Amino acid sequence: MTDMGAAIEDLRDEIIGMLPRLRRFACSLTRELHDADDLVQITVERALKRADQFREDSHLAGWLYGILRNAWIDECRSRQRREPAHVPQESAEEVSDPAAGSQAELLCVQDALLQLPEEQRLAVSLVLIEGFSYKEAAHIMNVPIGTLTSRLARGREALQEMLSETPEAQP
Amino acid sequence: MTFSDEVLMAYVDDELDESTRSAVESAMAADPEIAGRIAHHRALRNRLRSAFDPILDEPVPQELIDRARNAPAASAAPKKAEVIPLAPRLASRRSLPQWAALAASLLIGILAGRFAFRTGGPALIAAHDNHMLARGLLADALTRQLASQQRTTQPVQMGVSFRSKSGQYCRTFSLRAPAVAGLACHAADGWRLEVLSGTAEQQVGAGGYRQASSSMPPAVVRTVSGEISGEPLDASAEAAARRRDWQP
Repeated sequence: MTDMGAAIEDLRDEIIGMLPRLRRFACSLTRELHDADDLVQITVERALKRADQFREDSHLAGWLYGILRNAWIDECRSRQRREPAHVPQESAEEVSDPAAGSQAELLCVQDALLQLPEEQRLAVSLVLIEGFSYKEAAHIMNVPIGTLTSRLARGREALQEMLSETPEAQP
Repeated sequence: MTFSDEVLMAYVDDELDESTRSAVESAMAADPEIAGRIAHHRALRNRLRSAFDPILDEPVPQELIDRARNAPAASAAPKKAEVIPLAPRLASRRSLPQWAALAASLLIGILAGRFAFRTGGPALIAAHDNHMLARGLLADALTRQLASQQRTTQPVQMGVSFRSKSGQYCRTFSLRAPAVAGLACHAADGWRLEVLSGTAEQQVGAGGYRQASSSMPPAVVRTVSGEISGEPLDASAEAAARRRDWQP
């Protein structure tokens, strides 16, 4: 007879194994590491609370990313309500530990990502950073593939423009 | 040959079908402009990736690990299907509040409706007082069918039979269409359903038929674990119980 407690323990272990990737994803969505960790924490809590909704045949990563995405969108909405005109431009110093060079590069890329509209940022992050297929990313974002690819293309173009040190415009 | 940026991006993302991919590759070899655009897209992808990858090597804050370890989890383990707990526990069935019985009736009605429809026969489950009783084909199978002698083509498949802590005989069963499985215990008024759960196709055995007891949905397994007293009946004990008409 299966021990259901053991199944939950397995799920906890798998979630713990996913934490580094969830943090990376959260960092691509928010500027500050503590905000990213808050998002991951909310994701973990919601995932466990809804453990009974997780289908064994569905992909754990996709499920967790979907929860994180929703948590982030909730957070964006409530932040907009709290601070309607706030443009998050100041504090950039809180992102994690030193390793100066790569840190500066991370901040630079993060800044560019943060300029993108939410839905383009999500598409770019899921496909280019997290390495999901178009199909998986569309599923996580809950949009058709065509919508995903057009958001992805627009996000990419905007990033190319912001990030290219030598702005040699492509035809 | 010219390609849109979306196609070149999809090439970089490894999302092209075989033939488009080789078309892009030969164009890339022949045309430096195309090769340049691809390099551009690839550089962005690599840059994003390498900017964020160091986060993977950072130590995960202990608080997150603790949270994953200890945050309250839904009591059910990962599952695939709707579960209808018909009575929280056998022992407390009599004190089941009216609203719970009503909710159970409603849910069971939905499931039973589907049940009756799909099997093309009369309802297999009926509400009775505060509980659900097996009817028709299902009641017959619970009363007559032995797990040790059934054919896999029979519409109801019996799983394990056992004595509950209150001494009743209980049996798990499953149906292919609709795909449901459950536990019923024998009482004075018939076979009372204790739990009913949808099952998923994945649980069907290689031969196309549900395997008797090994593939019960978690909710049913859980209810059985909670109620069973001793070991499941073996073939001869099952036959003996049937001879006694499942009277304790």
